[in-house]
Amino acid sequence: VKTMSGRRSRGSVSEEEINELISRLQTLLPTARRRGSSSASTTKMLKETCSYIKSLHREVDDLSDRLSDLMSTMDNNSPAAEIIRSLLR
Amino acid sequence: EDFPWTCRLMDGKGATESSNPNRVVESVPSAAVASASAPTKRMLAFHFLRALSRIHGAAGPARRRTRTIRRAAYSSMARATGPRRAWSRALLLQAQARARRSRAETSRRAAVLVRRRVVAGPAAAPAPARAAPVGGQASAAAARAALAPPPPPARQAGEPARSDALRRLVPGGAGMEYCSLLEETADYVRCLRAQVQLMQGLADLFSCQ
Repeated sequence: VKTMSGRRSRGSVSEEEINELISRLQTLLPTARRRGSSSASTTKMLKETCSYIKSLHREVDDLSDRLSDLMSTMDNNSPAAEIIRSLLR
Repeated sequence: EDFPWTCRLMDGKGATESSNPNRVVESVPSAAVASASAPTKRMLAFHFLRALSRIHGAAGPARRRTRTIRRAAYSSMARATGPRRAWSRALLLQAQARARRSRAETSRRAAVLVRRRVVAGPAAAPAPARAAPVGGQASAAAARAALAPPPPPARQAGEPARSDALRRLVPGGAGMEYCSLLEETADYVRCLRAQVQLMQGLADLFSCQ
């Protein structure tokens, strides 16, 4: 993954570099709108990024809850426990 | 392999990691070595499953297990990524501080038990009991100091106000320059997404019993 750290050593960061990072970030969002121009407002993109991260955090919470329930019914001899053991070997 | 669906789980269900062409598929036991590239799904799975197998062995109330699993998700993400990223370093520090606090709490509780047991004991008994809480307080204070966020750099020209909200969401985001924040956010989002997919796959796997 290309990083910007080399260019940053020059001192100030150029507008161009920021825009590149923003558009890269934009491609990660589920509602990525690949418009040609970067007219999509930066503020809006950051807002979408924030809500996306929040929704991912919520998913981690929900899945932790679900896994907790599933694991409580799992005894040491269940297939799932065996799978975990075999994957870790 | 006996369990073909677990291979799919480890390699990702159709999710593309096209940003990392240098990814090397490592065998699971050697996954502990931090690599220069983004963590493979296999490494994420290794760290998380290891944590889960420890949690599975321990007894406890369900509410606490949920919280422990959630913490394991973030700390295994951070371990798989290693110290090469600011967000993973921040999460690793948080986990360490938490471990120190719980160790201090455990030794404080043990000290209380010692005091209770030697109610009518010799005068020498209170001395070791006093030492543990002091040590615990010192390390707890040190942990709090380590966690205190550095003063954020002056917001750069052109940096939108919205970035403050982003800084609060990305671990370690408070002290970063805007440029770093954007890079770290992208990496954090990719890893977080992979972690969610992993947990989803595991939940599906455990559901078909």
